Amino acid sequence: MSNPKISVADSGALMQIGEPERIKTPSREPGFGIGIDLGTTHSLVAIAPMGAAPRVLLDGEGDPLLPSVVSYAGPVPVIGKLAQLDRLAHPTAVIASVKRFMGRSGEDIGFRHPYTLSRERDEKIARFDVGQIRSRTPVEVSADILRVLRSRAVRELGSEPTGAVITVPAYFDDAQRQATKDAGKLAGLRVFRLLAEPTAAALAYGLDTGSQGYFGIYDLGGGTFDVSILRLRDGVFQVLATGGDSALGGDDFDRALVAQLLDVAQIEDPTPEQLQELEMRARAAKEALTDAEDVAITVESCGLRDHRVTRSGLNELITPLVRRSMAACRKVLKDAKLAARELQGIVLVGGSTRVPLVRELVEETFRRSPLADIDPDRVVAHGAAISADLLSGSERDGVALLDVVPLSLGLETMGGIVEKIIPRNSTIPISARQVFTNYSEKQTGMTLHIVQGERELADDCRGLARLELSGIPQLPPSMARVEVTFQLDADALLTVTARELMTGRKQSVEVKPTYGLGEDEIDRLISESMECAQEDFDARDRAESRVELGRVVLAVRTAIEEVGNLDGLLSAAERGRIGTELESAEVLMSLAGAARSSELHTARERLESVSAKFAQRRMERALNAGMGGKTLAEIEQVLAADEVNLDQKRGGHEAERID
Amino acid sequence: MVVATPSVFDADLSSFDAGLSHFARFGLPPTCDLSHDLVDDAYLELSRRFHPDRFVGRDARSQRLALQHSSAINEGYNVLRDRVRRAEYLVKLAGIDLDSNDRSRGAPVPDQRLLVEMIGRREELEECASRGMKALAEMQRTVEARADALLDEACAEFERDEVKNAARALVEHRYLRRLLDEIEAACT
Repeated sequence: MSNPKISVADSGALMQIGEPERIKTPSREPGFGIGIDLGTTHSLVAIAPMGAAPRVLLDGEGDPLLPSVVSYAGPVPVIGKLAQLDRLAHPTAVIASVKRFMGRSGEDIGFRHPYTLSRERDEKIARFDVGQIRSRTPVEVSADILRVLRSRAVRELGSEPTGAVITVPAYFDDAQRQATKDAGKLAGLRVFRLLAEPTAAALAYGLDTGSQGYFGIYDLGGGTFDVSILRLRDGVFQVLATGGDSALGGDDFDRALVAQLLDVAQIEDPTPEQLQELEMRARAAKEALTDAEDVAITVESCGLRDHRVTRSGLNELITPLVRRSMAACRKVLKDAKLAARELQGIVLVGGSTRVPLVRELVEETFRRSPLADIDPDRVVAHGAAISADLLSGSERDGVALLDVVPLSLGLETMGGIVEKIIPRNSTIPISARQVFTNYSEKQTGMTLHIVQGERELADDCRGLARLELSGIPQLPPSMARVEVTFQLDADALLTVTARELMTGRKQSVEVKPTYGLGEDEIDRLISESMECAQEDFDARDRAESRVELGRVVLAVRTAIEEVGNLDGLLSAAERGRIGTELESAEVLMSLAGAARSSELHTARERLESVSAKFAQRRMERALNAGMGGKTLAEIEQVLAADEVNLDQKRGGHEAERID
Repeated sequence: MVVATPSVFDADLSSFDAGLSHFARFGLPPTCDLSHDLVDDAYLELSRRFHPDRFVGRDARSQRLALQHSSAINEGYNVLRDRVRRAEYLVKLAGIDLDSNDRSRGAPVPDQRLLVEMIGRREELEECASRGMKALAEMQRTVEARADALLDEACAEFERDEVKNAARALVEHRYLRRLLDEIEAACT
């Protein structure tokens, strides 16, 4: 037994304290839940309605991956591939890897990034200054990404989803989780649950393969790292232990390379433009080095030409980072009380596991080659979709997911020492009680400071909430007894109840970390976003025109690159005409908000008309190549059908392959 | 000692009995020597049945009951799967709470012999630490073996209905566990 610390002042309270909400009786419609993998680099949405096999939903161009990049260069945000086009022209208005900023204050951000963080209004949250006197919180940026995925789901389901499961790194703390939940709410989604990414991967993998036994999930994404050990048995997915680092990922590999390139270019204080270009080139180089032994990097803005980087050079840069993840692997095996050889398999998740050095070291640590039969990009979204289907009320017989709390929860006691009430890796739901006593007769109140983390001192842990307990009867030391109960539900939502045993006086708080963005502000943002949807129609129209123009520009450019040099497909004169239109279109694009919607439409139409013949020739060629041996009539039939499609697709420069 | 306990496997969500012992909740006999498999099988079956995810669309009362059941099941699993916690829990059910200082119902006060032995072991630890890792590892092995023997002894005493003796052995086991933590800390 120990004495809780007494604190009179309640400054720096991170919490909103209120009566715990009653459990609502939700209306859920089986089959209308969606699973979202909100990744650092890419995001995906998947469904698995009524027990069906999960599938990822594609965008209009057949692509499952939505780059997690949002451009605020124009008045209305542009998300995904097109946002990436703005990165160099508007380096501080295009936000990539926002996940690393979720639930963090400006002070928490210890790495180099091209953004301007404004911290005038409060200190607890990072805000991106995106120009034109506008700022965006990480929650708003994430909500913009989620909206695109939501509309993808609406198109597929034919109605609004009843709810979503959004995946988060297992090692996210409560502030990061709450920020993610708020982003979902802001995007108009009802968040059924936040599911740990490695757990989602195990769910998808286990149900797909029918595997049994102990499995390790090594999940290295763009910005976060998780490792989990699960036991799969008869449809029950039991997480035994989880660990990781919510600030370690492929972005750190890129940054290591960026630092080296800055050294080579002898630049000490790079501009945002330089940083954006460096990040893009470094990532491309890292990806190329998965297959190639060496690559040449050119970074125009830094005056770097054909700088050669070898795979072993990259390995040297990132070895300390990858080793860090291996230390977490050994710790998690120890927590699960298992030896590496007892595992049936190790599953790799996340794009960064494509890096050869990562595979090598995983193999060394777990003493087996990782399983290679899954798509590391999709498996998390698949698992989220299965979970969403379950939580929408579908019958999936016998499947149960027993997840754990990743970080210990405790109370600050005398001397700032943490008394752990619920240790990490406890299966949820769980409740735990502890009795505390008074230290003096004069003590009539107690402040319970609820903290999260593994460190011994409360200052080194993350403070979640303060609960004031008053009216303790005046009794000799150690005679007044307060029983504190921590209840974690299946959503890992914590409710803390304190009860004075002599008088039965009880106080309760639902612990909701606010990480600086209060409930009021969330509500305001939601109503604002609804108002904007009405008022800002013109701006939206402009943005959409810009998106459409961007799509055509991208398609024409790709087509010229792919087949422009083939005989008879594109004459020099035609290439010149298309080039002129492309250029003026790109000038309009770079004006961002300043270009009128009609100008953008005109530019698109001109580009389409000047490249229409080229598109037609290209299509014919593709069809001829694909249908050798067919009669002319058959080909014409297909062509006619395709032309309908072509009209719908506007421009028709889809990337057919010519083999 | 095998005592038949009422099985809850056919119980539904209609009520929650907070006073049920972990053994009764799991439908297992209250004994020291339970195989891992038995505990695991019961745990998986109960989890599948009571996990709150199965009741998401149901009324508030069902959800609250599912939460209570699941929390108790997970708590019970933590105790039953761990041989030491299981033994301490059995002794608690039999009337001696090792977490309490109460004279009649609390942990037995350690006798002079144990305290003298512990002082000796602490001195040994200091000496081993100065001699290096090899000496520490050796001491760790010796203390672990002694702790295992004590746990066996506690279980044997409990099965003979000598609850006080079992409690005494478990108190000594706690001392050794703390010592093992210190050895571990000295190793790093």
